Amino acid sequence: MLSIKSMMISAVAALGLAAGAAQAETFPDRPITMIIPLGAGGSHDLNARVMTSVLPSILGQPVVVQLMPGASGQTGTAAAAGAEADGYTLIFTHNFIDQLQQFVTTLPYEPNKDFVSVVRLNTADPVLAVRKDSPFQTFDALVEHARANPGQLRFGHSGNWGATMVPGLALFSELGVQATLVPYQGGGPVMQALLAGDIDFAFAFPSVLSGQDVRPLIIVGENQLFDGVPTTKDLGLDAVTEVGGMQRVVLAPAGVPEDRLNVLREAFLKLNDDKTFLTLMGRLDENTAMMAGGDYDGLRLRQSEKYKALVASFK
Amino acid sequence: MFDTILEAFYMLMRLDVLLMISAGMILGILVGALPGFTTVMAMAIVLPISFFLEPIVGIPFLIGVYKGGIFGGSIPAILVNIPGTGASVATTFDGPALTRKGKSRKALEMALVASAVADFLSSSGTILVIGIIAAIALLIGPPEIAAILLLSMLVIVVSSPGVFAKGMVMLLIGMFLAMIGQDPIGAMSRFNFGQNWLLSGIDLLPLIIGLFAIPEILIAIENRVSNIVEKGSAKPQGERLRWSEVMASRQTILRSTLLGGVIGMIPGVGQVVAAFMGYSAAKNASSHPERYGQGELDGVAAPEAANNAVNGPTMVPLLTLGIPGDNITAIMLGAFVAQGLRPGPQLFQDQAVLVYAILFSMLLASVLLLVIGYFLTPIFARVVSIKKAYLVPLMLIFAVAGTYVYRSNPVDLYFMIGFGIFGYGARKLGFDVTPLVMAFILTPPLEYAIGQTILLSRGDLGGYLLTERPIAIAVMILTPILAFWIARKQSRRTRTPSSKEAAEK
Repeated sequence: MLSIKSMMISAVAALGLAAGAAQAETFPDRPITMIIPLGAGGSHDLNARVMTSVLPSILGQPVVVQLMPGASGQTGTAAAAGAEADGYTLIFTHNFIDQLQQFVTTLPYEPNKDFVSVVRLNTADPVLAVRKDSPFQTFDALVEHARANPGQLRFGHSGNWGATMVPGLALFSELGVQATLVPYQGGGPVMQALLAGDIDFAFAFPSVLSGQDVRPLIIVGENQLFDGVPTTKDLGLDAVTEVGGMQRVVLAPAGVPEDRLNVLREAFLKLNDDKTFLTLMGRLDENTAMMAGGDYDGLRLRQSEKYKALVASFK
Repeated sequence: MFDTILEAFYMLMRLDVLLMISAGMILGILVGALPGFTTVMAMAIVLPISFFLEPIVGIPFLIGVYKGGIFGGSIPAILVNIPGTGASVATTFDGPALTRKGKSRKALEMALVASAVADFLSSSGTILVIGIIAAIALLIGPPEIAAILLLSMLVIVVSSPGVFAKGMVMLLIGMFLAMIGQDPIGAMSRFNFGQNWLLSGIDLLPLIIGLFAIPEILIAIENRVSNIVEKGSAKPQGERLRWSEVMASRQTILRSTLLGGVIGMIPGVGQVVAAFMGYSAAKNASSHPERYGQGELDGVAAPEAANNAVNGPTMVPLLTLGIPGDNITAIMLGAFVAQGLRPGPQLFQDQAVLVYAILFSMLLASVLLLVIGYFLTPIFARVVSIKKAYLVPLMLIFAVAGTYVYRSNPVDLYFMIGFGIFGYGARKLGFDVTPLVMAFILTPPLEYAIGQTILLSRGDLGGYLLTERPIAIAVMILTPILAFWIARKQSRRTRTPSSKEAAEK
């Protein structure tokens, strides 16, 4: 069971009050701000609430979530890029905002110059789903129909160049099919539209799909999440596997002193040893596939190349 | 079935449940009453607390914050004419006028009673016909949302006080302001004049605070009045609400509850639309519509009942399908899943007792709102007895701090001041800013819904609407008829000049 202590800590952290006595020479000696460039109630918000309810017991300081939504994530990211690189401002974002957006619009910052990775918190595999009573029993049947009727299938997604649109685009560009893209404001409305039959298919994360009257047809990734449903890895669609999944990451403005960056990197990795953290993430149906910041920085550069090519193929 | 309900009832009858709902509610009221702090923010911040509580304590706790926050938003709207959210804009039509007459306590209590009653009725109705509401919710898609939003915008302009053309001008300005930033469908930048700080568009909060609070402050300074309340009354906050006054407004409250309950099925903007529709409907049905806007108790009851009646239906897609329609229900969903509960049809079967207990906690929360509000309103009402020499600077501090704290973006402060000056000018020239605010709130979802509808139609818009979207067609036919009817009713009245028009001369 979750202890009273962790509850108290989270309550204190949540209210943004400094917990305990500040240690003079150590980092951190005051609360850390974690910007989220997305709105309240989304999966990032929830993941962050779990992280920040545990981090104070590791860092000795509360971590305060600051939601700064707007302009597809650019508002919050620009603010983080402009913040002082002292380790007290972090940003909790995902790979599409971080690495893809630079190729579709002009950004007031340079992702790979302005940020360094602290940790990759986890990943989420998008799943293509249709309604239970849809005529498409398999992914192949869907693709065949789409090939025969270009642009007739309606593909609902939760925002341009976002986490439920990119896997679809990657799949289409790989298979050479076309669909009509219909944007919705968030994953919830997409799911509602799918259940109502307004759209033919959509991508969603496993946590959203469970218990719904929908049929998964293909998983973008390598994890066998549903029995009998192929993954893009099974089908040899490696290009899709690499760019389609969502990676939730914590970044810091570039230039954070090395010792402070290390404190942060280690602290986040320690989350994976915390029982409360693991229990809560499990309940949220999120994995805890963490990746150390140093390794993730390498991955970011590779993502950058892939997204550049993907966006170019749609222009 | 009966056993389940009884068991659910017992489950809820615990002291800690009562205490946590009350704690959440007091927190919600306080946070809601501060401009700049939204109910969503408050809920997101206290969400982790619910992780560590039992489901039957943690989720009602959040429901308490939610209901408290929504009522709290009406307090500054009534007392100092600063609506914290779009949902309480309609409350500023009559609330501040009542305050000036020395009836702030009555106005607050009317808002409280109307809110609690509407909330209770809408929640009970929701529990009774949850299946039907869930089925209807699935019929409401982008075409229906677009049609309903168009209808509401038209009704708002037609029934707004003053000259129709002036209302239209403000409406168009509001629509333009809402379009600055990125287009919702293609994410193309537009009207940002090459400026990065305009890229994310203008936020509602600096706009509302600027348009309402700043002119209020400037006019207070101009008039050199030493007190908000016009002289003559012993107690500036005035008397308590009388039972007879509640009974006199019962029809208005019921009408607004019904309207709000129906409109509540539109995700996202339900509360804002409901509040305005409730007010317009009450004014239209009234035998003395000319008193609306001058400090009519019914004018507070109508929007308050309507925006709270939305609460019940908005919970339905969350509970029956596990789909959150807005940010508040998304946070609720987070609270559920962190407890290992996944809302949806399965949960109703497996944990019927718990689901019903949570539904009943919504009813309990509306009763508690009445009790807690009864004790808190006198304290808030006392705000009006603060001397203006102190109150005006305080309002300015709250306006500035509230704007900044919302998303810590200094640009918002420039917007707030800019809109403040604009709002002051508009007031002096006899332009009502309400159509502007409404258009600003409703344009983005309207544009979004129209864009989605066009995409969904795959090139054959007429065919798509006629064959697949009968509800949207019905609303579109109803729109001009309703607008014409309201306009005719208004023109038939012998109009007395409103205070705003009088002030202009």
